[in-house]
Amino acid sequence: MANLNIDSEKNRTYDAIVIGSGISGGWSAKELCEKGLKTLVLERGRDVQHIKDYPTTNMMPWEFEHRNEMPYKIKQENPIVSKCYAFHEDAAHFFVKDNEHPYIQEKPFDWIRGYQVGGKSLLWARQTQRWSDFDFEGPARDGFAVDWPIRYADLAPWYAYVEKFAGIAGDHDGLPELPDGEFLPGYPLNIVEKYFKEKVQQRYPERKVISARCAHLSKPNPIHIEQGRVQCQNRVLCQRGCPFGGYFSSNATTLPWAAKTGNMTLRPFSVVHSILYDEQKGRAVGVRVIDTNTKEEIDFYAKLIFVNAAAINTNLILLNSKSNRFPNGLGNDSGVLGKYVAFHNYSARIYAEYEGHLNYTVEGRNPAGGGYIPRFRNLHKQETDFLRGYAAGFGASRGKESDRSGLGLDLKNNLLNPKLGIWQVGSHMMGETIPKESGMVTLDGSKTDDWGIPLLKIAVDYDENDEKMKKDYIEVMTEMFTDAGFTNIRPDTHWQAPGLDIHEMGGVRMGHDPKTSVLNKWNQMHAVKNVFVTDGACMTSTSTQNPSLTYMAFSARSVDYAVSEMKKGNI
Amino acid sequence: MNRRTAIKQLFIVAGGLTILSSCLNDGGASIVLNKLKISAADEQFLGDLADILIPKTDTPGGKDLNLHLFVMKMVDDCESPENQQKFVGGFNKLRKQLNLTDSEATKTALLNLKDQTDEKAFFDIFKSRAIQGYMNSEYVMKNKVVYKLIPGPYNGAVNVKG
Repeated sequence: MANLNIDSEKNRTYDAIVIGSGISGGWSAKELCEKGLKTLVLERGRDVQHIKDYPTTNMMPWEFEHRNEMPYKIKQENPIVSKCYAFHEDAAHFFVKDNEHPYIQEKPFDWIRGYQVGGKSLLWARQTQRWSDFDFEGPARDGFAVDWPIRYADLAPWYAYVEKFAGIAGDHDGLPELPDGEFLPGYPLNIVEKYFKEKVQQRYPERKVISARCAHLSKPNPIHIEQGRVQCQNRVLCQRGCPFGGYFSSNATTLPWAAKTGNMTLRPFSVVHSILYDEQKGRAVGVRVIDTNTKEEIDFYAKLIFVNAAAINTNLILLNSKSNRFPNGLGNDSGVLGKYVAFHNYSARIYAEYEGHLNYTVEGRNPAGGGYIPRFRNLHKQETDFLRGYAAGFGASRGKESDRSGLGLDLKNNLLNPKLGIWQVGSHMMGETIPKESGMVTLDGSKTDDWGIPLLKIAVDYDENDEKMKKDYIEVMTEMFTDAGFTNIRPDTHWQAPGLDIHEMGGVRMGHDPKTSVLNKWNQMHAVKNVFVTDGACMTSTSTQNPSLTYMAFSARSVDYAVSEMKKGNI
Repeated sequence: MNRRTAIKQLFIVAGGLTILSSCLNDGGASIVLNKLKISAADEQFLGDLADILIPKTDTPGGKDLNLHLFVMKMVDDCESPENQQKFVGGFNKLRKQLNLTDSEATKTALLNLKDQTDEKAFFDIFKSRAIQGYMNSEYVMKNKVVYKLIPGPYNGAVNVKG
């Protein structure tokens, strides 16, 4: 931008730039702003302000044009996003439509995205389970990927730090494989979930069924009230955005907090093209942005850059940040940038019925969703013919049903007087997948998107380990369901593409060795000390836990380190 | 013209849902449809059928709640072209066979539709969409099987008579 004068350049200079405003970007922004850094937060999508921009949040079911069902034409035009469980009329405006940002599926991959301020933090399933050393030590113990450069003790205080601010509901279960945190009261299991927990405990003492831990304000603390949030009202309409701030989102929590410092400049409609690297200075100096309204190319400058674009887009930005020093993408001396991308194996579920406890039902809705079964397979030692294991969700519900077979008065009467049915139970697997060099994202050599940025090619796949694990999950759950007296047990192993789990991770992994990893133990680029990556791209392995809480902790920890290094003059 | 009256003429309430009404007075359907070809007479027939499915009692029936318009809207927007074809094809066959003024005979005929026939394919779609519209209607959700936007605390063990 040679024609821009020095004043203009000064106006485009900040202390720090955060790329992305989702779960991890919101945290980076909050921490940087609180530490006094003038921070530019770049978001490729539109602004979404808390409450004001949740148009469907208080709509009744009959107010939706198609009663929340997506029209056929939209589904046909959007085969990818239509597969997402939350893509309905009430939240469709928060999802990226397929044609808005195309990509090339070298192997089937459902890339589910939310391009707006707050990103997918508006849409997430809000499950927040800590990792433990059983997870961080996994690659080293089982000989895959590379050793994590951190252990649980490094992250534990930061988990506590983010949990206190975000508000996490959970029970203190005392499980080393799923460490306890700074919890608000947990949402209790219902009577059949409790019954299942007890049955499992009797027969398989090493297997635990606990209340899922989730980012809901079951009982807000003063810090949450100070954020302008109040107790979760158990509406479980979270994907619409919550006017109560009942669950954690960047929009309700971190971004307003960052704004309050006066240090944040939020710039929506800003697609990041690349990170600018200065070879003389040996560091990144800024970020090149395409304004999506004007298509203008604008450079912004800062001493510190946090990349929080969400795993796959973070890879895209770094791969597209080419210079003489880094011809294959920023910080990519190792050649592993874009590789070892993995996900969670969500491709098996199991359903059944239960005819006990018929003198009980439930009332209301459970924001936590029910039970969580932490990984028990291969936990202490290798015991199966596959590596690692899976966590599982477990839920029981009892709905009211009507006989719909008749016509006329009978039918009307039946519809208006639904009767309690028997209990329905279900579980889904959350399997660890092993990151492989072949699981990768690359840039297309010729095709570009609306902003002139190369299209991303995604080639990520299941492997034999995933198939064995899936089989084991179905066998194990069938046994446990049978033992609990559940009937009509129905495994559902219909294939789903990687990506639909919305837990894509890796490509910019952390590690000890710059030859085999991109980031060090502080989420800092080995080769470019003022660039940090604290979203899903940094993940060395995937383990089984829902990963967002870990990204929050990484973000807060990395900002703390980065700012202290800046003060020491090391960055 | 009074603005409020004008708006009233533009929208028709179907089960609490407002549907854009057709501006054309050409013997077609009263609501805007993009795919389905439904005449005013067809619409009348579907309305009568909605009343046979869910009759008016001391509470509103299918026609009162405009469930037939809801079905038309949903089939037009949300069903596949194959299902739309089944719906229209089956409807055209079935309406020739039914005399809706004899509601008992109609009910018997509808309950005895043979599987894998066009008539049954139509009626299955009609019935499931009409029930969807009924159960999700403002009337039922406010007065009968009540939907609460804020349901109150979660209780995982409520005693009921087994």
